[in-house]
This record gives sequence, C-alpha cells and structure tokens, in this order.
Amino acid sequence: MLKRIIAGTKLALGLQRPGRNLVVFPDDVFIVSYPKSGNTWTRFLIGNLIHPQSPADFSNINLIIPDPEGLSKRQLAGMPRPRYIKSHQYFDPRYPKVIYVVRDPRDVALSQYHFHRKRRLLQDGASLELFISRFVAGKTSPYGSWGENVASWMATRGGHPGFLLLRYEDMIENTIRELAKVAHFVAIQAPPERLAQAVARSSVHEMRRLEQKQALLWSSIKETRQDVPFVRAAKPGGWETELPDTSVREIECAWAGLMKSLGYPLRFDRELVSAGSQNSDALLRRMLR
Amino acid sequence: MIYGAKRILRYLLGTDIAGRTLAVYPDDTFIVSYPRSGNTWTRFLVANLLHPDEPATFANIERLVPDSEAQSSRYLRGMPRPRVIKSHQYFDPRYKRVIYVVRDPRDVALSYYDFERKYRHIDDTYPLRSYVSDFVGGRLSSADWGTWGENVGSWISTRRGRSDFLLLRYEDMLENTMFEVARIAAFFGIEADGERVVGAVERSSAQRMRGLEKVQGKNWVSTKNKRADIPFVRSAASGLWRSKLPAESIAEIESAWGPLMAALGYELASPPSGYGEPLQMLASSVRPALSRGRI
Repeated sequence: MLKRIIAGTKLALGLQRPGRNLVVFPDDVFIVSYPKSGNTWTRFLIGNLIHPQSPADFSNINLIIPDPEGLSKRQLAGMPRPRYIKSHQYFDPRYPKVIYVVRDPRDVALSQYHFHRKRRLLQDGASLELFISRFVAGKTSPYGSWGENVASWMATRGGHPGFLLLRYEDMIENTIRELAKVAHFVAIQAPPERLAQAVARSSVHEMRRLEQKQALLWSSIKETRQDVPFVRAAKPGGWETELPDTSVREIECAWAGLMKSLGYPLRFDRELVSAGSQNSDALLRRMLR
Repeated sequence: MIYGAKRILRYLLGTDIAGRTLAVYPDDTFIVSYPRSGNTWTRFLVANLLHPDEPATFANIERLVPDSEAQSSRYLRGMPRPRVIKSHQYFDPRYKRVIYVVRDPRDVALSYYDFERKYRHIDDTYPLRSYVSDFVGGRLSSADWGTWGENVGSWISTRRGRSDFLLLRYEDMLENTMFEVARIAAFFGIEADGERVVGAVERSSAQRMRGLEKVQGKNWVSTKNKRADIPFVRSAASGLWRSKLPAESIAEIESAWGPLMAALGYELASPPSGYGEPLQMLASSVRPALSRGRI
C-alpha cells in the first residue's frame, strides 16, 4: 500500500518516468531499436544533424533526444516540438513516425552480455552460452526478445511511409549515406557539409572521449561500472570470433527467417535447410534440443 | 499540476481497469483477438470446456474467463490461478501462453460497424463506407488496439509456430467447431473426450448465447447501458462482406492488408498488386503453420 501511495503521489505530480506510458504527440519522431543496436549513436547523429549549433554530448543528449525512461512525464510534456524521442519499445501503434535501427542479433547478444557486466547484472566470466540462451528466450530485456521486437515493427510498419528502417551495419559502412536517409525522412535540408559535421561529431572516437569525461553526467550509465565502457567496439561481426558455435546456432535457429530477410547471412544456413523448413520456428526449436 | 486525479485515485484503490497495465503471471493463458473476431464465443467455448459443471453465461463469464479490459487490476489480482484472461491487446511480450483468434477483416469491419452503433460511438446515419475508412485508418475505438493489420501482424510475426501459441481462424471454428475445440483442449493439456467437447460446443452455440444475451445483456459489463436494439451476438456467420460491403470498402481493406490476409488464407476479391518484402516473409512463414494446424 505504501508503495502505491508513493507511486500515486509521483503520478499526481507528473514525476514518474513514463516509459511505455508516454503521452504521444502527432508530430513526434521516434528513434526505436532493440537495446545495444546502435541507438545511442543514432541519437548523437540525429541530435547533431538537427542542432548543428550545439554539439551533442552525454550531458545534453537527454534534452535533445529525450529518453522516456530517463526523464519525467512533466519534463517530456514540456519539451519543444517536434520531439525526437528515443525508445526501445516493441510495437506501439501510437508512434506516428519511426526510425527503426536493427542490428545483427549475434552482435547484439554479445554487446548486451558486456553491458550486463557493466550494469553488474552479470559477473566477469559469467557463462556466455547461458546468457545467450536467456537472450534468445527474451529473458534479458523488458522489451521482448530481439526477434519479437524487430518482427513486431517490421510486420506492422514495414514499407509504410512513416517508417524508416536502418541497419546498424549499413550505418557503419556508409554513415553519411544513411544519415542522408534520415534527413530526407524528417524533411531536413542537409547539405553534405552539415551531414559530414554531424557524422564527425558522433564518431566513435568523439563518443569515447565524451564518455571518459561525462560518464557520471548521464543517467543511463552513471551508476554502472566505470571500468567497462559503454561505447564499445562500434563495429560489426565481433560475434564471428567471440561467440561459440552453440550460441551462434541457437540464435540462428530462433530467428533464421527474420535474419535472412534483413540480409544477415547464417553460418549454419545449409544445416538448417537440410534439416527441414526454415519457415517453421517450431521445427527449428525441436531440432535444437 | 494534478495529472488525472480520478485516474490516480482509482490506481490507489486498485479499481483502475487493468488493460495493458495488467500484472501478468507466468501461468496465465490469454485469449487474444482483435475486437469482433469471435473472442466472446471463444471465451464461452473455453469456459465450458474447462468447467463442464458450470455452464458459462454472461453472469459468470467475468469470473470464469475475465476481461482484462473491463475488470480492475485488483479484481484480476485476486483471481484463482491459473487464470484464463480475455484480451484485445496487440503484441505484449509478457503474455506467455496465447490463443489468438483471427477473422476475415472484411467481416470484422461489418461487425464493428454494428458494435460502434450499439456503443453510440456513431449513429445509424453514419455511412458504412466512412466507417470502413475509420477502421482501416485506426480511428474510433480501434485506436486502443492498433489496426486489424497491426494487431494480427504483431502477434503472428512474433509468436507463429511456437508451442505456446495457438492460432485459430474464426472461419475454421464455424466450419468445424468440434475439431477446433479439440485443438483448444489439447493446448490446455486436457484429456477431452467427445462428450466434453460436444457439451462445450452446445453450451456455447449462437442460439444459446443469443438467449442469454436477451436475459442478461443489461447486466453484463460489456453490454450494459448500450443500445439494446442492436445485438452483441450477431449473425455468427462468415462471408457476409460479399453481399453487404461496398466494393470500394472491400478494395480499401484489401489494399491495406492484402498480403497478410492472403497469408491467413482469406481469398482476395482483387488480386494483390505486389507484396511488400516483410509481409512476403510473413506470408511464407504463416502458410505452413496454418496447414500444419489443419491436418
């Protein structure tokens, strides 16, 4: 009861962090991704694109591209519009315009493993295989499993004019080209110099430098281990050497169809094909056991 | 300064409608569908299957298979477990065991039109064609559940083919009720002999439900204070859209969700103009799942 009273008082004063219960405005633009898929980098890129006069850093990013899990309902309601909002939520029909960043789940899993070490949810040396099994089952995140999160958006909004799909890997390969897509999507005139400046201000070197100076100023990481970096490798394909085959197979079995449709080639593709239909997740699951 | 005093008071007293904030338990089973897709019928079928000694009525259905969108969070917290809960929510990753009922959206639109009139959201002069545009665009009461395509697509794309997800088509349930109820029984792990299945089907017939609605409709949470001249239990038929829906409306629905409809086995009146890539992926993965279920 006391818990309810405290929560009720917070509700009354608008002090609670709304998260999924955010009040959505029709001109909002959402930057959505599963956690550890390049969302913060995308926030920096877009922040630097829309505010060329004030470079994004970890102390102001929540004011430029707010996080409904980091700010109060009242703060969010008072932000200048149109708002650009960060989100990890699975499908929400109220989001009017969505930039969705997707990343190879094998790299996402690896990155989340390290992030959970940083957040002290895992000890150093904790079993990677066990973590991956929990990751595949959607037990390591409140935002559904990777497959649920990605598929819930793709199946409902894929191909719609209010939905821009970006692959983290494409963003790494040609950042300016992908950021130009964003500029077009949100109807911002962005000459090449402006794009180049936003990309330079959001480079992994710059973000690492800022993290070293400002880690304690950012609500998302200030209470985490400071010896494990938030800005990590910032490159694709780390899974190829760091993930054991059993884990790779487990991820590929769970989401083969979805991964292939996103252009992520499977290591165990042939094996999965010869074992039967790629389309049936149930069959694949049975095979795993 | 005070944000929604009424809502906060309800929250403090636990009388807030559970809806999406429902506290989910790991042993819950959900009966999910878009509105007007046979959810109430499925609730009756499931209740009558699980409680053969207590025929389901509109007076006890909120106890046997409670409605998370009509009951308070406190009421639902106090239910005996394992709970079987009715829901119209689009994808929610917390729902572990889900029976999803899908129905041809052209029939759903027709049924929803009557429902919106029953609820006095629109009056009788509101043109059906305008309503279908609202339906496709996610306006009126649909706004809470996403559009038909968003609701169906969000569940099928995330859970298809899993052993804790049972996909039922309303049309199959009408055509071969016994068979589909036997699948429901298997999903609950119930040894259902023929007699138990027949009993559940008979106690959930449209005729019986219509009779119950006449007597109990004015007290049931979902129909009380609503127009009594428009029934909640309607024709309980499929394919009425062929004679009742204007051609433009059929085209509007099919152009919004053609690939998803085709994937679910709903024949299109006008052939598709080209599949979007994600939906093509979805289509190819749903078809085998459906045909497996129907062997």
